[in-house]
Amino acid sequence: MTPGGLIGYRRETAVTDRELFVAALHRDAAGPAAFLAAACPDPARRERVKALLGECERLGGFLEPPAAAVPTFDHPPGPDPEATTDHLSQAPGTVIAGRYKLVEEGGEGGTGTVWVALQTDPVKRVVAVKRIEAGMDSWAVLARFEAERQALALMDHPNIARILDGGLHAGRPYFVMELVKGVPITRYCDTRRLTPRQRLELFVPVCQAIQHAHQKGVIHRGIKPSNVLVALYDDKPVPKVIDFGIAETAGQTLTDKTLMTGFGAVVGTPEYMSPEQASLNNLDIDTRSDVYSLGALLHELLAGSPPFRASELAVVLLKLLRVVREVEPPRPSTKLSTAHGLASISANRGMEPRRLAGLLHNELDWIVMRSLEKDRVRRYETVNGLAADVRRYLAGEAVQAHPPTAGYWLRKAYRKNRAAVRVAIAFFGLAVGAAFVGVYLALRDGCRAGG
Amino acid sequence: MGDATHLLLAAEAGDAQAAGRLLPLVYDELRTIAAAQVAAEQPGRALTPTALVHKAYLRLAGGQRYDGRPHFFAAAGEAIRRILVEAARRRLALKRGGPAGREPVELGGLAALAPDEQVVAVHDALDALAGIDPEAAALVKLRFFAGMTTTEAAAALGLSVRSAHDLWAFARSWLRRALRPD
Repeated sequence: MTPGGLIGYRRETAVTDRELFVAALHRDAAGPAAFLAAACPDPARRERVKALLGECERLGGFLEPPAAAVPTFDHPPGPDPEATTDHLSQAPGTVIAGRYKLVEEGGEGGTGTVWVALQTDPVKRVVAVKRIEAGMDSWAVLARFEAERQALALMDHPNIARILDGGLHAGRPYFVMELVKGVPITRYCDTRRLTPRQRLELFVPVCQAIQHAHQKGVIHRGIKPSNVLVALYDDKPVPKVIDFGIAETAGQTLTDKTLMTGFGAVVGTPEYMSPEQASLNNLDIDTRSDVYSLGALLHELLAGSPPFRASELAVVLLKLLRVVREVEPPRPSTKLSTAHGLASISANRGMEPRRLAGLLHNELDWIVMRSLEKDRVRRYETVNGLAADVRRYLAGEAVQAHPPTAGYWLRKAYRKNRAAVRVAIAFFGLAVGAAFVGVYLALRDGCRAGG
Repeated sequence: MGDATHLLLAAEAGDAQAAGRLLPLVYDELRTIAAAQVAAEQPGRALTPTALVHKAYLRLAGGQRYDGRPHFFAAAGEAIRRILVEAARRRLALKRGGPAGREPVELGGLAALAPDEQVVAVHDALDALAGIDPEAAALVKLRFFAGMTTTEAAAALGLSVRSAHDLWAFARSWLRRALRPD
């Protein structure tokens, strides 16, 4: 078959074998045989599709990438007894690992689907199950997960959704997490019209959660509003960080692989990605990368949008990454003053537009900008440092993030307006030169006149 | 950006001939990248078929246009299938003590994660499947030979993930029946 053949492919008959097969596959209640008898008048085709459906039931791991065949992973090799087809293992009602019954699909992430599931054993409770897409490297995902499982299990913090379990089912890794019935922190703050102060108070425990993880040696790497949910416990809002460590375990770092496989889908949320994550080959990601993402989140909480909007970024993948790496992010107050929905952004924060801009203008700008430094050496060393500054601000103390010095600003201004500065210098030089010539001529004429 | 980009653009505009001419180009590109990988000898970074296809995509499409994707991946799936089958056949011939056939081309240990016998058998059955359902065959090339996940292959072929799951079940059932020794 030529590639042109694929694109030029048109159905000649009204119903193909495939369509009949797929339709019968989804018809589990009535039974495929009855369905086929009714749907297909052609007996030869009916027999063919029936035979295919029979094969489908016994597929097992046929032609699937052998998740257990790689020697470095210590699961016993051989076919997974629970292996089913991709299709069947995706349906509601599927039981994972004999104790998690999938109830409802919660949404698809970059690497898998999140399900609300009912755990039946050893305790009955509702949990969230995330299934990772199987691929050639699912063994690597699992190997990394195994390595980190200990660290994930050690994490015990009221603001972190706990990882309860994980393993391999039908050749695909799955993770079981505490189910958080919350909404993204940005949406929570906007619908409740929280003031900047209330937002900061909600932000501090998020930092504490991340700091806790860092102390356990786990970097989140995927901090963004949809991973920081706010749920009400006894009418008190409690932020919970979800997907901890999974981002990393599932290889969601921006290595060549995920960048190339995603075509926008996996890269997903570049708004919160640190410059070092946005570099193509950088595997050297540390806790300061989370500081950056927290800074971007704080930027959005205060000014209504992350430093860079997706629409500004989504031009071309590589250009997008360059923006994250090189372009200086705007301060929250600047971003606010140029924002389209300034009125609603201010209303959502219970403030007049001008007062909000004034409030952001000094310390809060500095705190955000220090978190968003391109060079991670200049960022807060730890998430604790960031949280401490937010608390200092809330307490009315001087913050550690300094306004940039005059020299720093001059350098920045020069870099930004290099051409203009050069022209100015050239003119200045010309003027000085002309003055010298003028003085020389005048002196010479004077001498002549005198002599 | 060169020939490949022009061909991708032409194929996208509906030029079937351009789509056909893409295959040898992609095939050569995959081999060049694999050979370079061997030359660079990066220990611990074994080249997987998936990585190879993605590398070729970045190089040929140059990060410029993403709309010609299905054309590229249809060609890449076919190219990687040929490369892997060639390698599998050579190894099988060596195992049987026969002549290795053509000059062995070093491909950096590039191999499908399936036994050589299965690679060759699926290859032989695939053309018949392509006769019935070309899209199913294209998916098998990306899933089985190029080692992509269902989600990746769906994106590459411009399908929804759900229909890619269905199509994969169909293709596997069809191949299992075709490969049964009876």
